[in-house]
Amino acid sequence: MMRARQQIIPYLFLLPALLLLVVFNLMPTIATLFESMFVISLRSGERVFAGFANYNRIFNDPIFWKSFQVTVVFSLLVNPIQIALALGLAVLINQRVRGIGLFRSIYLLPIAVSLNVTAIVWGLMLDQNSGMVNGILWQLGIARQPFLHSVDQALWSIILIASWIGVPLWSLFILAGLQNIPPPVLEAAKIDGANAWQSFTKITLPLLRRVLAFVLVADTVANFLMFAPILLLTSGGPRLSTNLIMYETYRRGFLYGDLGASAAMLSVMLLIVFIIVGIELYALRGSD
Amino acid sequence: MSNRAMPTASPARKPWRSQAQPIVVYALLILGVVFVIVPLMWAAAASFTPNHKVFEYAYPFSWRALFPVDFTLEAYDNLFERGFGRAVGNTFFLAIATVIIGGGVNALAGFAFGRFEFRGKNALFLAIVMLTFMVPVDLTAIPRYILVNSFDWINTWQGLLIPGLANSLVIFLFRQFFAEIPQELIDAARVDGATWLRVLVSIILPISKPVLVAAALLMFISQWNAFFWPLLVAPTKEMRVVQVEISLAIGQYGTIWNELLAGSMIAAIVPILLVIPFQRYYVQAITGTGLE
Repeated sequence: MMRARQQIIPYLFLLPALLLLVVFNLMPTIATLFESMFVISLRSGERVFAGFANYNRIFNDPIFWKSFQVTVVFSLLVNPIQIALALGLAVLINQRVRGIGLFRSIYLLPIAVSLNVTAIVWGLMLDQNSGMVNGILWQLGIARQPFLHSVDQALWSIILIASWIGVPLWSLFILAGLQNIPPPVLEAAKIDGANAWQSFTKITLPLLRRVLAFVLVADTVANFLMFAPILLLTSGGPRLSTNLIMYETYRRGFLYGDLGASAAMLSVMLLIVFIIVGIELYALRGSD
Repeated sequence: MSNRAMPTASPARKPWRSQAQPIVVYALLILGVVFVIVPLMWAAAASFTPNHKVFEYAYPFSWRALFPVDFTLEAYDNLFERGFGRAVGNTFFLAIATVIIGGGVNALAGFAFGRFEFRGKNALFLAIVMLTFMVPVDLTAIPRYILVNSFDWINTWQGLLIPGLANSLVIFLFRQFFAEIPQELIDAARVDGATWLRVLVSIILPISKPVLVAAALLMFISQWNAFFWPLLVAPTKEMRVVQVEISLAIGQYGTIWNELLAGSMIAAIVPILLVIPFQRYYVQAITGTGLE
């Protein structure tokens, strides 16, 4: 690292990026907390200070709590499923078999495709009347399933759609972690008589701890903000069974023009994200 | 691939690797590939199919569902007649502008963080770059929307482009790469009297191809796939990007499935064609921060 003679230079280089980050990212983060204390209308644009009235409203609102509950259930299902499958996929594409490069390329495809496209394609694949998934079930002699139109199956359908991108995406991080493990470590385990399963659970998994911790947090935050499939496919239904919290904030703020309630919900979400990230930073600091 | 001998008795080959049996590996790999590729093949095939036949081979399922057996360009013709080309042009323009302007802004910041010592460096990095990296942009969309609205930037290029130019992940990538460039290269140029900007442009950038490709891919693809912000800030027909256009098509042309899928395939093919040839760079770009 050098000592620059003209000390003004680094600040000039930083100025455009930091100014933009402060104006469009940092200030809105703080402003979210402020906005949650105002009642504001999208149409008239008038803002009135309201103290904690917005919080009172959402905390006494059964639709908010229902949405919160759906989001918690969704998180508890989708994150373990995605991480377990991503771990399996990473181990699989870390195998040295012929043609593995081609397989890795194919598994990259969902990562390049947007969540919107994924939702549109899977929405039609899961069509309750003539979708391909029901077409395959028909061949297997299984009755048509309603999927996105059923209170019991809609959230699972969203989990499937989110995982089509999520599993390959998070497996890339885990694959990079696997490739960082020095081969002599696993070699030594083998010489000591460890079988594949033992060396995986006793050596590989502990060495992947940091990567898995990162993936757990990043995946949890990403799924916590799941939005596009809900907007495009279910609008939160049927009977609010897929009304994830990010969609609820959009519905309140931009469809009903209730930006105050929306900002209060977003502030609660911000707090939760900070807690999740804070736990990660704390856990990782202790582990070295 | 099915009749390969079991590798149990071949410790000479990569002895440290706990190799599973290839047949099991291939079976699982192909199962995963089916899950990845079948939706894309059906969607592509259906986009080249007359609308009344979109579901013909999907229910009940036959292999014909995966190939455009009743090939027609009808969906694409109609789609572009409705003005979809405008959205494609908008998105390309926006993504390219983001790569060029955003790339410059983020590279300058990465250079400052990677190669200079100055007062407040760590504080600025932690308080601005790391903090904005941790807060997902969608969570703060409402105040950003109010701010952009107060600038009269709704349904404008400025509103679409400027809030997304600075990108803490990209700053991060540049910082890491620039920090590892040998000092001698820079010293030589400085002795010759080059300014710092000149050092960056004519010494550092020419040897920074990996990070430039990675950053460009990351910025282009995330702008191409961006949805929530363009939906809020630029919903009019003239300003719509591809992702917004196809999402609104669900409501407007809900039963014209082949056009919906044709739009989706155009939205999907651009990032796919970029990722496949540059996959090593792209993987490094997205996993780069997670492992530090």
